[in-house]
Parts: sequence; C-alpha cells; structure tokens
Amino acid sequence: MNVTEAELKQRTRRRFFFTGLHLCLYFSFSLNWTVWGSFLAERLGASHITGSLLMFISLILVFIGLESVFLWLSRQGERS
Amino acid sequence: MRRLLRNSFLIGMCSLQAHSVLAAGAIEGEVTRQPVNQTAIIMFLIFVVATLFITWRASRATTTSSVFYNAGGQITGAQNGMAIAGDFMSAASFLGITGLMFIGGFDGLILSLGAFGAWPVLMFLFAKRVRNLGSFTFIDVISQRLERNPIRLVTAFSTIVVVVMYLIAQMVGAGKLIQLLFGLPYELALIIVSGLVLGYVAFGGMLATTWVQIIKAILLLTGVTLIAFLLLAKLDFSFSGLLKQATLSHPKGEAILSSGVIFKDPIQILTIQVSMLFGTVGLPHILMRLFTVPDMRQAKLSAYYASLFIGYFYIALLVLGFGAIAFVYNAPEFFDESGSLIGGSNMAAIHIASAVGGDVLTGFMSAVCFATILAVVAGLTLSGAAAISHDVYAEVLKQGEPDPKTELRLTRISVFLIGLAAVLLGIAFQHENVAFIATIPMVVSASVTFPMLLLSLFWGDFTTRGAIWGALVGLTTSIVLIVLGPQVWVSVLGNSEALFPYDYPALFTMPLAFGVMIMVSKLDASARAATDRDNYRALLWRAEFGESAPSGQAGSV
Repeated sequence: MNVTEAELKQRTRRRFFFTGLHLCLYFSFSLNWTVWGSFLAERLGASHITGSLLMFISLILVFIGLESVFLWLSRQGERS
Repeated sequence: MRRLLRNSFLIGMCSLQAHSVLAAGAIEGEVTRQPVNQTAIIMFLIFVVATLFITWRASRATTTSSVFYNAGGQITGAQNGMAIAGDFMSAASFLGITGLMFIGGFDGLILSLGAFGAWPVLMFLFAKRVRNLGSFTFIDVISQRLERNPIRLVTAFSTIVVVVMYLIAQMVGAGKLIQLLFGLPYELALIIVSGLVLGYVAFGGMLATTWVQIIKAILLLTGVTLIAFLLLAKLDFSFSGLLKQATLSHPKGEAILSSGVIFKDPIQILTIQVSMLFGTVGLPHILMRLFTVPDMRQAKLSAYYASLFIGYFYIALLVLGFGAIAFVYNAPEFFDESGSLIGGSNMAAIHIASAVGGDVLTGFMSAVCFATILAVVAGLTLSGAAAISHDVYAEVLKQGEPDPKTELRLTRISVFLIGLAAVLLGIAFQHENVAFIATIPMVVSASVTFPMLLLSLFWGDFTTRGAIWGALVGLTTSIVLIVLGPQVWVSVLGNSEALFPYDYPALFTMPLAFGVMIMVSKLDASARAATDRDNYRALLWRAEFGESAPSGQAGSV
C-alpha cells in the first residue's frame, strides 16, 4: 500500500468518525423528551436558563467547532 | 375575558401546531387579508430594483449553459456559504419556528436543531466529493459510476417530485403570507412572485440567483439581529430576564423552558430529527450550489460558512421566540376580538418586530419575508429546470452531447413552464391543507437522494439495480406512509385516526431504502454490476483528490 492509498483510507475514516460523532451528539438532543433527560429541565442556579436550553446552544457551537477542527485537519493533510 | 380566550387559543394551538407548523413550508389555514402596508411595499420595491439591476448585469454574462447552471464556478466559498444560507433560511423557518416557540416554547427548537444538524454532515461527507465529481447537479455524481440513462431518469424524477412539492408549499405559503403582510390579493401575490423569479432565473441564471440569495440572507440576518438586540435591550441584555418575562406571560409558565408542551413522544422527535437532517442534506437545490465554486476547498468552505450563518440565525431565533412570548402575548393590540393572534401563530415574528421596532421594522421584516420567498423559489426553479434540461435532455436524450444553444433555450423554457405551473398549482391548492405537501420533499429527499448519494460515494459494491430498486422503494413507501399518516389520513381525508402515527416517516423509510439498495446490490450478479463495481475505484480517487487515479494504484483501495 503506498502513501496515497493509505491517505485515502485515512481521509474516509476521518469523514466517518466526524459524521458519527456529530450524529451521536445530534440525536442526544432527543434525551430531552425521555425520562433519562429529565435532569435537563432543571434551571441553572438562580437563572431561568435550563439545561435543555443550554444544550441547544452548546450543540450548535460544538457542531461549528467540529467543522472547524475537520477543516483544520483537512488543510493540514493537504499541506503535508 | 380576553386573556382567557387567549389562553384557550394557545392551548388549542398546541395540538394543531404539532401537525401543521412542522411542515416547514407554508402558512396554514385561511388567512384574513390585512390593510395595504405601504412601508413594506416601498422597502420591497427597493429590493426588487436592486436585484433586477443585478439580474440585468448577470444576464450579459449568462451566455452558456455552464454559466447558467453554476455561475461559471466563480463564486467564492464565503459568498456561496451566504447564498446557501439565503437559499435555506426560508420564511417558514423564520415565521414557523418563531410561531411554534410562541405556542410551545422549547419544543419549537427541535426544528431549529433539526435543520442546522444537516450542515456538518454535508461538509464531512459530501461537499468535497460531490464538488469534485459533478458539473451542474448531484445526478452527475451518481451517474458517473452507475448506468447513465436509468439512473438519471430515476433521480431526475425524484428531483422533480421534490422541487414541485416544495414549490407548491412555498407558493401557497407565499400567497397567504403576502396577503397578511402586504394586503395584496392571493392570486396577484403568486403572479408577482412567479414573474420576478422568472426574471431572475431565466435571464440571470445561477449568477443572479446567487446574488438574490446573498442579499436576502444579509437582510434577514440584519433583521433578526436588530430585533434580538432591541428585545434584549428592553431587559438590560439579560437572557435569563427574557426567559423569566416569557414564563410570566405564557399560560404554561416555566414548562416552556423545557420539553413536553407540544411533543411528548420521543419517537416522534426522532422522526423529525431524521427527516430534517437527512432530508436537508439531499435537497437538490442545496447540493446544486456546491458546483458554483471553483474548487473542492471552496466547496468545503461553502458548507462551513453556511453553518456559521445558519447557526447564528437559529440562535437569534431562540431570542425572538421567547421574546415573542414575553412581549406579544401581553399586548392586546396583536389579538382580535375572539382572542386569536392576528394572522395566526406564524405572525408572532412580525408582531414582535412591531412591538420593539414599530412600523418601520415591521415594514422591513415584511419586505425581508417577501425577498426570502423569492430567493427560495428562485433556487428551486433553477434546480427543477436543470433536472429537465441538463439531466434529461442533454445527458439522456442527447447522450451528453447537446447543442449548447438548444440546451440553454430549453432551460429557459423549462424555467417559464415551472413558473407557470407554480402559479397554477398555487391557485389550485389555495384552500387545501398543504402541510403534507411540504412534508414530502424532506422525506423523499432523506429516503431517496441521501442513500443513493452516500452509497455511490462510499460503497464499492453499490450497483445500478440496487440504486433503482432502493430509490423506488424509498419513494413509494415515503408517499404511502405520508398518506396513511395524520396529515393526510386525518387532516385531509377526515378519518378519525391515522393508520400510521407519525407525520415524518423517514425514520422508517430511509433505513428501508438503504436495506433494499444494499441487499439488491449484494445479490446483483449482472454484467452491469461488475462494471459498476469496477468504476468505483477511479471515482473514489477522483472524488478525494480531484484527479484521475494513477494506473495500477486505485484498484487496491
């Protein structure tokens, strides 16, 4: 197996890793509608922000973060 | 008394909205025409003049099919990201999600996350590979390794189903929305929308459509930012204070801060999530935008910038949704004598603009909504025209060697016919419940386009026969289950109980389509199947590196 073939496999694995991680996080949002996620309905301290709302905002930010990391890794791979 | 009426209105709407607002495409039910809104009309005319000027400039450059379909591949990643956001952030997102939050608080956010979740998947899996393999449409990508004619016909058919259904939902929603916002008659509204879109697309092609979408995205993001800023300014920029005010205004109190006001069933949530995410990834007018950039790096950047803009939009809608509860619910001027919100729950976003910014901001947001409809309809029309003239005429009938002038002429005729059909279908469905029509594109896209695209790019054993059988099963089961579901079986046909309990069946139809595609491909021992498998090696190389595989190397990948 030469370098390029290995690189092709590595890139495909990376794509699936990021997609899998993203989908796990994405579908974890449905916990809000189950008994296992009931703790998310609690308010954070004295504020009116609940765990559910915090999870919504955090997921959007984490998804953008994941994309940033993916882009960075892709760029590093292309440079090398 | 009026407050009591308002409470009963909101509680009643909770059950209705679970079915109707979810169909992200339309203003539902009959609407009352509002007085003519001059401020909105003046602002909209400014938008029209600016975009027609751009179209005139673009029409001088649109002399070939390539420029027509993909703007000559000269749009930058940032511009394309903004255009994708403009293509995707529909009036239904802005009005529908804010309206759903107005009724059920947190539960409305499932639509926001559902729609946003698609963009990372588009970037991780498809942006680069689709850009490297296609020319004008995603069908170019699928047909590269599979048998050209049957694959193009099946995928072009599913594209046209998606585009026409999406278009009907948009046009019915547009007619009702413009009645509400501008006080114009329904039919006139459809003719204006269709006439302008014909002008943009037929003369300016993708170049004009791109700039219409970019301008619209900037206006929409500016509008929601302004409203969110003014809302938070009223409460010393305290988001917690806004939530507190909302809980004091809403009859469900603190329950709106977490799940359960509208949706109770986690399976229903999963059906929405699956349909929204995989349906969005497979939308043909979104995938088509990936071909407007010069290279694979810009394609990835397009998806990234689209994520940034759309993510920001949905976070701003979070503020608008709770702001609408906090400031609209307690304002009697937004309710009629029967205690109903004027214009229905979808008008909550416009009412909150009035509450914080007066007539000028209301006019601005109304004009933005009109511009939003134009941008989305333009993207859809272009995608439908490309399926007819490029995928069917140029690639199937002319075997990839069409007369360029004839192809361009046919594209413009297709645009005209789609525009005419949009007006006629919009009028025909004026009094119908179109929620199910808006559901079909997402479910079909998730159950047909997404599996075909994924397997053709990532699975070497995928064959033409597997693709066709899987697509037919995905398409058929999607439509059958939607008909048996609550939106058609109960709301349209008047039966007391649905035979299938969910509005969005993609949770079931997408795995079924995948299963059939994989099983039939595995069992396929035809000569064509061997060719399909052999083609994968070269395709994979070209998809990832943008160039042909060196001889003797790709075979072992």
